[in-house]
Amino acid sequence: MKKKKISGDSIQAMAMLAPMMIGFFIFTYIPIIYILRYSFYESNGIKSAWIGLENFVRVFTRDSAYWKSLGNVFLLAFGKLAVEIPLSLLLAVLLNKGLKATGFFRVALFLPAIISTAITGLIFSLMFGAFNGIINGMLQNIGLISGAINWFGKKGTAMMVLGLASVWNNYGINMIFFLMALQSVPKELYECAEIDGVSAGNRFFYITLPMIGPTFQAVVLMSIVASLKMSELILASTNGQPSGQTEVVITYVFKYFFGYDGRKVEVGYASAMALITGIVLAMVSFVYMKFSNKLGHSTE
Amino acid sequence: MKKEKRMKSFSKALIYIVLIIITVFALFPVVYTILGSFKGNMELLSEGNRLFPRKFVMDNYKQAWEMANFQKYTTNSLFMSGMIVLGTIFTTTIAGYVFERGTFPMKNFLFTMVVSSMFVSLGSLTLYPTFVIAKAFGINKTLWGVIIIRVFGLNVTNLFITRSYIRSLSKEIDEAAKVDGCSFFGIYWRIIFPLLKPLIATIAILEFRHSWNDYLMPMVFTLSNPDRMPLIVGIMNLKSSGEAASSWNLMLAGSSIALIPMIVVYLIFNRFFIEGLTAGSVKG
Repeated sequence: MKKKKISGDSIQAMAMLAPMMIGFFIFTYIPIIYILRYSFYESNGIKSAWIGLENFVRVFTRDSAYWKSLGNVFLLAFGKLAVEIPLSLLLAVLLNKGLKATGFFRVALFLPAIISTAITGLIFSLMFGAFNGIINGMLQNIGLISGAINWFGKKGTAMMVLGLASVWNNYGINMIFFLMALQSVPKELYECAEIDGVSAGNRFFYITLPMIGPTFQAVVLMSIVASLKMSELILASTNGQPSGQTEVVITYVFKYFFGYDGRKVEVGYASAMALITGIVLAMVSFVYMKFSNKLGHSTE
Repeated sequence: MKKEKRMKSFSKALIYIVLIIITVFALFPVVYTILGSFKGNMELLSEGNRLFPRKFVMDNYKQAWEMANFQKYTTNSLFMSGMIVLGTIFTTTIAGYVFERGTFPMKNFLFTMVVSSMFVSLGSLTLYPTFVIAKAFGINKTLWGVIIIRVFGLNVTNLFITRSYIRSLSKEIDEAAKVDGCSFFGIYWRIIFPLLKPLIATIAILEFRHSWNDYLMPMVFTLSNPDRMPLIVGIMNLKSSGEAASSWNLMLAGSSIALIPMIVVYLIFNRFFIEGLTAGSVKG
């Protein structure tokens, strides 16, 4: 039996797969092991020394900026998802009405989703520029504001612009997911409900939402994880300005790894922060899945 | 009855209005960028409140293309994306085929290892160690590093789509070929690969979008070698160079150079984009 298994075909199969498996282990697992190891070291990328748990002690006791960046990303992610998820669901429902020109709207509304996150950050920072940005210009033209607003000068407005940019870049994919889920809801359900005189609002809450529940749950989880990992958008627009007020956790750690933005390279410390961030992200997903499963059961 | 009809057409009109308003917001940043790239520098710096340029000028493009290295950036982007797309088509279809049709020891263990990597989500935080590893192989200073990592690093979502696509193909053909003396590789090359055309289109477009738009990884790999920068990195470099205010026109022209090929590809193949992105993310 065993002999038969390792046939010529098996050898061919293994040989075909080998380059990808080697690449995968080198570029996916080894970096994780690297981070695990270096989180116990002090290292500038060239020289390293074992310092035990010192990096972790530093994160938990002396680095309030790290926790602030973590707080920022939670604020930004949940704030923008509160707009993004309802918006994409609304658009999906409207596109599912089977009106004429639906095809055009679907293609046009999905367009922002194909655009680079970095370019999105750049475009929004140009549009919301304080001195010659078009948003200030237009708002002044129609008389909504009297003087130019320095959008990126304060945390509140800067976060708002970042959230807007992120919603713009990401609602399209969620919209298409919701649309696909809606299309699989049997039409008869709505017809029956209509005959029974169920109002449109009730039809949405008692038929549509439960029917697309699993998709909804998955889309929200995906969006939460992706939003908490945002980095390119921030680097390409505010880069954490003003004075670290819009720094998010990934960009914060990234700067320690590469000594970017005038920081000195601290690979060991960055690894410890990366590890903690990974654990926090895993915990968020875990809590969400527990919570949303419970919610799903209670409505059944 | 009549009243009901009127209600229907009223709600239809309302839906159209909502859709049109949101579409305007969705397209505005793109239209702004492309129109802005035709404005003269004076106009950009003095009046920001107009969407349409007073006079269409090509200066920004000329300047970006000739003086600001954008010719090189575009070539680099095309090279990088092209190689990644081409390489990924082969590595993904081979990996999908072997995991679906192959029999060899440890197959399930390996597949589980690959899939479980999805749950370790460190995002761009593994970029530094990846770079260190690339350095050890001597591929850290060119785009080849990015290409090799993307092509051989195996994208789990691509693997999932491919594997389930191959599963849907009838096994009878490959069994018949096997009887005729076709080897395991021969079946992939002569039978499976040609049947994968629609899937290859999807993967090619996903990878094109990803590699054309990628920023952080190519940035890290070309940090010390500006001649190799792809478009997105080149544009961002203008922003952080400290002359951001004076290179506003270049940033707009550069962004348009990066956007337009993507939009054209999207408009031609939008079906594949929409299907591909969702197929990829459902499983990932």
